Amino acid sequence: MPLLENGQIIQDTWQIAVEGVSLPAGDVLVPLARLSEGLGRNSDGRLGVVLSSADEVETLRDALPRLDVVALTFPVFRDGRPFTQARALREHLHFKGEIRAGGHVLPDQYEFLLRCGVTAIDLPGSSDPAVWQRAHEAFTVAYQPSILKEQAEGFAFRRRLA
Amino acid sequence: MDRRNSRRDAEGTSVITANRLLDGRIVWLAADGQWTTLIQDAKLYPNSAVEEALKARNARAQEEALVGIYGVQVTETASGPLPVTSRERIRAAGPSVHPDFTPDWHAPHPAPYA
Amino acid sequence: MSHSPSAALPVGHYAYDDVDRTFLKQRVAQFKDQVERRLSGALTEEEFKPLRLMNGLYLQLHAYMLRVAIPYGVLDAKQMRTLAHIARTYDRDYGHFTTRQNIQFNWIRLEDTPEILNVLADTDMHAIQTSGNCIRNVTADQFAGAAADEVLDPRVYAEILRQWSTLHPEFTFLPRKFKIAISGSQQDRVAARFHDIGLISREGENGRPVFEVFVGGGLGRTPIIGVRLRDDLPEEDLIAYLEAVLRVYNAHGRRDNIYKARIKILVQALGTEEFLNQVNAEFAAMDRARYRLPESTVEAIRARFGAPDFAPAGNAAEKLAAQRKADRAFDAWVHTNTHPHKQSGYCSITISCKPAGGIPGDVTSAQMDLLADLAERYSFGELRITHLQNVVLGHVRQDALYDVWQALEKNGLGEANIGFITDIVACPGLDYCALANARSIPIAQKLSSRFANADLQREIGPLRLNISGCINACGHHHAGHIGILGVDKRGEEAFQITLGGSAGDGDASIGQILGSAMSEDETVDAIARIIDTYLSRRTAGERFIETCRRLGTAPFKDAAYATA
Ligand code: HEM
Ligand code: SF4
Repeated sequence: MPLLENGQIIQDTWQIAVEGVSLPAGDVLVPLARLSEGLGRNSDGRLGVVLSSADEVETLRDALPRLDVVALTFPVFRDGRPFTQARALREHLHFKGEIRAGGHVLPDQYEFLLRCGVTAIDLPGSSDPAVWQRAHEAFTVAYQPSILKEQAEGFAFRRRLA
Repeated sequence: MDRRNSRRDAEGTSVITANRLLDGRIVWLAADGQWTTLIQDAKLYPNSAVEEALKARNARAQEEALVGIYGVQVTETASGPLPVTSRERIRAAGPSVHPDFTPDWHAPHPAPYA
Repeated sequence: MSHSPSAALPVGHYAYDDVDRTFLKQRVAQFKDQVERRLSGALTEEEFKPLRLMNGLYLQLHAYMLRVAIPYGVLDAKQMRTLAHIARTYDRDYGHFTTRQNIQFNWIRLEDTPEILNVLADTDMHAIQTSGNCIRNVTADQFAGAAADEVLDPRVYAEILRQWSTLHPEFTFLPRKFKIAISGSQQDRVAARFHDIGLISREGENGRPVFEVFVGGGLGRTPIIGVRLRDDLPEEDLIAYLEAVLRVYNAHGRRDNIYKARIKILVQALGTEEFLNQVNAEFAAMDRARYRLPESTVEAIRARFGAPDFAPAGNAAEKLAAQRKADRAFDAWVHTNTHPHKQSGYCSITISCKPAGGIPGDVTSAQMDLLADLAERYSFGELRITHLQNVVLGHVRQDALYDVWQALEKNGLGEANIGFITDIVACPGLDYCALANARSIPIAQKLSSRFANADLQREIGPLRLNISGCINACGHHHAGHIGILGVDKRGEEAFQITLGGSAGDGDASIGQILGSAMSEDETVDAIARIIDTYLSRRTAGERFIETCRRLGTAPFKDAAYATA
């Protein structure tokens, strides 16, 4: 599936671990349950982990320096836990790699995701990237600090959105 | 899909209702396949046939700009179908505390969009 | 007599600047786009629903209902006129004030909504987060900035919280809605212990405020009184601490069952101690500097609130005393409908939206315009909506009261019943609400007609009567001294009575169900017998709630179910 990153559609070159099959060479995303298998893999491909919305990001603390991607999953767009997971990855665990969001996500959530530290969207099949871009440009101000380095807009907690 | 409070049983008779997406107003399915705001014009379905009809209508909900299509159990009276529950009677007649707000209420002056 | 506006700033609420106005217009454009995507089929109804709810738009029984935010219950005359305009132009000429200090319009069309939001934005209003699983309109007490016992003006903090929670990136898809209330004095006038978070302020040692923090209170189907998490939260940690509470809730609140999704259930499930541990752990780990609320920010927000420019008291008090002597009906109204003001020569007045036989909280567009006129002439342009569905003029000179009262009298707003049995709180119930079991309004109308006699009401004294049309408890029936709950008996409407609830002032309690449900008329009769029992059994000066507590529910239950 295509990835949306910095306003660009790019091809996703990562492979997803297939259940019951040993991990392939190259860049691979593994579920949390197979993290140690991934870490022990004998390959110079990069490693990422896929979290469900119920997983605790704290469990990644030790592995995180060796991960390039954390992929968060919306089972349904109303399940807002991935927002907290993303923000905690950045704020508590100081993760610097890519955070993806996938599953059932709406363009209307795009700006929130970015402000929580998500950097790439695993676009649902039928998505129109123009709608996502519009969502990103819809607002020029936000009313609270975020983990991004945003400029103050006037007083209080207001932030200017790029 | 049945609704809480619409109290359909195996034997009785039902009518089909929905809300219009654009203005939210209540409508009833008439015999000619059109949707009407007056329950008096609604087509009666034996409960054995209503699920089938609901399925067909739900499949066209987006196209017909409707939301929340479901069946309502009624009894037949001289003045037309009467829902068995208070909830559906209020839906059919309008709020009891504003007797003037009947389903065919029109704004005394035209709204700006008209 | 009129007040010259001392500055361009509105009295009692935050003044928008261009940045805030741009934001509102962008929000309208976003919603317009969402509506178009819904109509084209790009958004399903399931996807669109939470988006429209976050703009206050519900699909109710007969039509869409739009809930407009009135932050901390304060609005100005211009804004009230906008509401009147919306009622006239896009609805059926009336609106309904709610217990969350908002207003609802019952006959809105989806296709008009972007335009309505645009009209609202023109006077700095919106419907953002008046519904949906997000942080809702923050409520504050209705005598803010006027009450004689006030420690700080809670509206400044409510505004800070409003801004912070507006389109919060992390907390817009919570397990369930989240309601915050803040009281500016030790006396709790906001039912802080019945909110997801309740804040009660007092002055700290360094002259800056500190907050008592309650969490996990609520009514609904599981009424729970909130637990105290903090005694003395410093002002500068206010935002950080709320972030911590919400993070724990967003991560761990239940999402599998909407009836168990409120934070109160999480607090109960974990136990207060474990919940507190998790909040403290989060609070300790977070980047506190980022969320610090410096004094300068509080003052910057405060500086955008206009303050009334009071005139010297002169002989206002004497003039009022003479008028009260001369007119007994006016005297009765002053007695029940006014509240002491910190400024000598002034008082606050509560305008009853509960006429005998009327619909509690409903106000016509003409009445809205009148309220706007009165606010402009007599109360620095400021109006407040209370959580008891009435309207407050915060700062009225005592020698203007007679004029105000006469204007209200002429327009059906002069009822002298604040705090009495006919000052009924009622939700819309089955006449409008898609979730209802029974109608709340007709029974409220019957009760307010039954007890309409002014002498009888005064004889009965202070009594809160609250009515909800279903267990969601929008009418706060559990918090009523007498509560009425609509239930469904095989498709027919029926009512349960609760007794002994109370919302505030340090003695919050939850009403006890008296017994099995009755029909509407039986319920009205049963309540009349409960009142008779109170009148015959009370001791001198004892209020209804006190008699309930002393005697317990048994004698009232006997009276309620005694058949003639
Ligand atoms: C007519 C449309 C309305 C709908 C569909 C609606 C729906 C609901 C629902 C489902 C709940 C329970 C939520 C929960 O406990 O998780 C609730 C609670 C509440 N509603 Fe409404 N409501 C409506 C109108 C009102 C009105 C008119 C008021 C004010 C008079 C109001 C004030 C409240 C309050 C204060 C609560 C919170 C009770 C608590 O603390 O749990 N609502 N509403
Ligand atoms: S209490 Fe029930 S009936 Fe009343 S407004 Fe709330 S959801 Fe509707």
